[in-house]
Amino acid sequence: MFRSRSWFGGPWNRPKNRLSLEHLKYLYSILEKNTTVSESNRGLLVESLRCIAEILIWGDQHDSLVFDFFLEKNMLSYFLHIMRQKSGGSSFVCVQLLQTLNILFENIRNETSLYYLLSNNHVNSIIVHKFDFSDEDVMGYYILFLKTLSLKLNTHTIHFFYNEHTNDFPLYTEAIKFFNHPESMVRIAVRTISLNVYKVQNSSMLRFIRDKTAAPYFSNLVWFIGKHILELDNCVRTDIDHQSNQKLSNLVAEHLDHLHYLNDILLLDITDLNAVLTEHLLHKLFVPLYIFSLTPAPPTRSLAVVTQNLAAVLNRNVDIDIQEMHNPRVSSIVALYLLSLVFLVVTHAPLVHALAWVILNGDHSVFKEGAAEILNAYVEHREVVVPGFGEPNESLEQALDTVVGHVSGYAVSEDSGVESAAATEVTTTSTDTETDAESEALRLRNITDEEKQQLQQSTSAQSHLELAKPFLDTVLHALDCTENDYQALLALCLIYAMSHNRDGIKNEWFDQVLSKSMRGSFSYKTALIEQLLEIITQSSQSSCRIRLITIEIALELLVTFTKPASDETRSITSLQQDVLFNARNQSMAVLRNFYKSEDIFLDLFEDEYQELRKAVLNVEFLCMDSTILLPPTGTPLTGINFTRRLPCGEVEKARRAIRVFFLLRRTCQKFLSEKESLLPLTHVVNLVQVENVLDLNNSDLIACTVVAKDNAKQRRFLVIDALQLILVEPDAKLLGWGVAKFVGFLQDVEVQGDKDDSRCLHITVHRGGATHNRTPLLSAKFLFDDHIRCMAAKQRLTKGRSKARQKKMYQIAQLIEMPGQVVDSPVYAVGGLRAAAAAAGSSSGSSSRNTREHRPMFSTANRVPGFAAALRRDNGASAGISRIQMAQNRSIEGIRNENAARSRRRNSNTSSNSSNTSRATDHMASGREHSPNGSGGSKSSAHSRENSQARSGGARSRESSPRMPRPRSEEIPLEDFQHSRNSSPHGRGAGGNSNASSRSHTPSRILHYDQLSVHNASPREPTLLVGTNALLSQMNGVAIAKEVLPVQSSEETSFIGNDTDGESRRKGAIETV
Amino acid sequence: MSYAYLFKYIIIGDTGVGKSCLLLQFTDKRFQPVHDLTIGVEFGARMITIDGKQIKLQIWDTAGQEAFRSITRSYYRGAAGALLVYDITRRETFNHLTTWLEDARQHSNSNMVIMLIGNKSDLDSRREVKKEEGEAFAREHGLVFMETSARTAANVEEAFINTAKEIYEKIQEGVFDINNEANGIKIGPQASPTNPSLPGSGGAAGAANSGCC
Repeated sequence: MFRSRSWFGGPWNRPKNRLSLEHLKYLYSILEKNTTVSESNRGLLVESLRCIAEILIWGDQHDSLVFDFFLEKNMLSYFLHIMRQKSGGSSFVCVQLLQTLNILFENIRNETSLYYLLSNNHVNSIIVHKFDFSDEDVMGYYILFLKTLSLKLNTHTIHFFYNEHTNDFPLYTEAIKFFNHPESMVRIAVRTISLNVYKVQNSSMLRFIRDKTAAPYFSNLVWFIGKHILELDNCVRTDIDHQSNQKLSNLVAEHLDHLHYLNDILLLDITDLNAVLTEHLLHKLFVPLYIFSLTPAPPTRSLAVVTQNLAAVLNRNVDIDIQEMHNPRVSSIVALYLLSLVFLVVTHAPLVHALAWVILNGDHSVFKEGAAEILNAYVEHREVVVPGFGEPNESLEQALDTVVGHVSGYAVSEDSGVESAAATEVTTTSTDTETDAESEALRLRNITDEEKQQLQQSTSAQSHLELAKPFLDTVLHALDCTENDYQALLALCLIYAMSHNRDGIKNEWFDQVLSKSMRGSFSYKTALIEQLLEIITQSSQSSCRIRLITIEIALELLVTFTKPASDETRSITSLQQDVLFNARNQSMAVLRNFYKSEDIFLDLFEDEYQELRKAVLNVEFLCMDSTILLPPTGTPLTGINFTRRLPCGEVEKARRAIRVFFLLRRTCQKFLSEKESLLPLTHVVNLVQVENVLDLNNSDLIACTVVAKDNAKQRRFLVIDALQLILVEPDAKLLGWGVAKFVGFLQDVEVQGDKDDSRCLHITVHRGGATHNRTPLLSAKFLFDDHIRCMAAKQRLTKGRSKARQKKMYQIAQLIEMPGQVVDSPVYAVGGLRAAAAAAGSSSGSSSRNTREHRPMFSTANRVPGFAAALRRDNGASAGISRIQMAQNRSIEGIRNENAARSRRRNSNTSSNSSNTSRATDHMASGREHSPNGSGGSKSSAHSRENSQARSGGARSRESSPRMPRPRSEEIPLEDFQHSRNSSPHGRGAGGNSNASSRSHTPSRILHYDQLSVHNASPREPTLLVGTNALLSQMNGVAIAKEVLPVQSSEETSFIGNDTDGESRRKGAIETV
Repeated sequence: MSYAYLFKYIIIGDTGVGKSCLLLQFTDKRFQPVHDLTIGVEFGARMITIDGKQIKLQIWDTAGQEAFRSITRSYYRGAAGALLVYDITRRETFNHLTTWLEDARQHSNSNMVIMLIGNKSDLDSRREVKKEEGEAFAREHGLVFMETSARTAANVEEAFINTAKEIYEKIQEGVFDINNEANGIKIGPQASPTNPSLPGSGGAAGAANSGCC
């Protein structure tokens, strides 16, 4: 038989070229001959349909005759005919048919072709065809087909799908029937289709949507969301042990999808549609379910009151007959959470305003007028619907059928609505489908003054018996953290969400309403602030059960609500501010208990600071986390983020204490308008980075071979800085300089000797922080030239580590005002100084740094025989560091004296020095000058100077601070030796022509240094200063009063401004020494 | 048509990278040698066999749905696997990968298997993104990488099937909760692979006896 054999290659009648009109004609003949689908021909049909799609797309792009033929023969009608057959594996053919249609509509580019395809209404017939939707492939292709069509919608094509005269819009009405399909991808497609439809600017179509479909669709949607919420609530109630977390998080995510979908509709800004949707949401979900759940259970008449109040606002007469006992409700936890989500996601002003108004003023009050206006702004033409969460009167499908079936069928639907409402105790008065005339009449009927008055009286009389603002009260009560912060966190989320809603509620609006909410002398805003302070106070206690995130939001809200109206000070009473500061002090006291010399404390401290800086409060993200719906737990086994649960064990308690302190410190600084000056403990900008080029002349270098785990060997020089371990490679271009190939913090170094090889060390540099599970930065075997060098390296590393840590611990002690530590060991004060001064240096100095920037290098470690001493050279960034460096291992007083003296003395000395040296003009000059192969004269003179200084410096520090641990005898000369050298370039700078910039920077650094040292140090400082330097003491007052000043600020500029002609002045300063 | 599992896939990436062509190539091999024609489809299903088990792959292209936030955020969830596609002849499609990946990571469940696909490998002369770059990106973000050509069908099978294998392994390891359909995995109506020779749904059937040209 022809048809069964032909397509297997019967050469006659079949065109060679697959993509040609001839082939299409041939395929048409197949369709013609196989009008009935049967087992025997279905394969042939499938193949033909496939080819047709291919040829059509080809024709669309190459040969218009193809489309002409397709339309002329009305081939779509064959498609229809095939899909309408029930027998012979039609589902199988249907899948192919739908795929062909999909391919056709997705890939067609020619506008005219598209119009032709759509023109004869076959597409609509295909849309309304009842496919076998139980087949998931049919379902998938079908809904994709609708989606593809919806993407083709515009003001022109809409007429092919929406028939104004018959009020027919199958594409939309068929699609939304699947809004609740079990397959999520289908639901997503339905949402896309509906949004694509709404997007089209066609007024009559939109009118159809609003009048005929909006009410049933939205009421079903809202009901569906509500049911989903009840499921969510059930999940929360039954899952106190965090067992079905996955399920809960899915439910939450799903709910968020709904909310975002609603918001997307609202964002399209179709006034009529938004009004209907807003009404449905407000009156059928938000008020009757969410807000209702805020009332204490068992329910009282409160909902009736709300309804009445709403009605009063709306100037409508409502017959309240609510069977509250039967009303569904969710736990207040869930209600708070859901309301938060609404405010975080939805931005449609009328909706959020109305909802916020209900929460804040849940009762008519003095603000009724204002809020009424807000409500009236959008409800003007709305009918009154008694809030009630109930199943829609008829299923969406029914409703749509009614709409589609009866062109003027709202009378019918209303009837059925009333009936089913009575049957299901749903209080909705189904006015959804009322004509405009009717609603107008209703409106007129309702606003007679008499009735209005009556209503007001009745509601006001009733409200005296009730709490003035039951919902706001509930929210505020929820802030109580005496037991735990389960509810409080969610209440805070709600308040945060309400006050930060993107467009809907302006911050000020919320703030105003809140601050005006008074009940007698009772102000809700004050109450809120007091509650927040109460949370903050409680959280600063050691034994509280408040999660970190709660504290963070509470503090954030406190800042928000005390925001100054204009430029004035914050609107917080001094009493309240005291409470806040007391809380900080309390948290400091708690933290002191954790202050230990153990390594882990420092690591934790720095970790937490990093965490705090990284994590920006994002309540929207927080509210995507379903775990906050469950009772707070302590165990990390739940996988809950640390900030969202209680601490577990001592270490986490310490972490928590640190974090609470940071949070409170930050907030207090906001209130005082202070800037953080002591944190972080190390400023990254001033650390040596990999690939930095360092001047290592006279630095202590230990040659070694680094043997990595994979046995790769590298020859390196080990340099030990105050804070860092650095491995350098000699610089190819500059003698005595090196390129940093590896840097790591000394505090994270672990050194182990080797039993078998006395020249060998095993060094591990961790990544820092308390979490050691990460791979270390470096873990390698270091081979030294001999035993002595190996021992030296070990000693210096071990010592460097403990010193670096001690310094930082001292900084922390200072930060948290550890008693007995702050005053007693000024040695370490310079640690804080380093960071702060370095920051100052970098802010005024070279802030841009390229990778090969030349950076000075220096050494602090003990002197080991046979190692060269360090020499600093000057450039922009170096000055700050060198000063800091100097500061180490000395008392502040000692440094100040020396520093002031030296820098000035050097000025005079080295200017002559450099004038002697002809090479002083280039960069190298300053380095070489004091290098061992430099000019003998300058070297010796430098030595003699330094020796004398070292002695005087040491002596002075002994005098001035007797409690200071004295540097070891072998250290003093070395340190001073270095430092004096370090400082020398500044002086020389005056003579070198490349030093114009350094000259201008130098004083400012001295300044910063001095300021900060004064700032940090004990009060007895100034007295010492007076004797040393008149200039410095002049600065002193400024330094205490202000933060680090920019270079341009008045005092400094005067200093710098004088700098160019300041030689004499400096000399004068030196004379005072 | 029974199957042991159904895996839901999504295909993401810039427009014009050939997502729907990849999909059609995989589900409907018949379309492969069409000259100068780009034909795509946004949905497809095909049966494959892994470890002797029939597994149905259901693939959803998300094209055209990017305009709405609610849509973008929901389609990542509910997929067990994702093919992240870029066009090797257009660098900007490669540059946008980070954004796609961020979106996917933010909204998907953490177990979703993501495969990076550099498509149009047949157009080597117009290549703008080196294979090494794709590999590096994949390594950095923990993805599986492959270059494919929807036109020549090179590696297309492998891309889909390797992703399925990885999902299957995760099921074996117990990482995926297969009872939760929100993960994009469904247990088949009957988990008995009765007729393994039966061709897949839809297009695959026709593919078996394609002798048309």
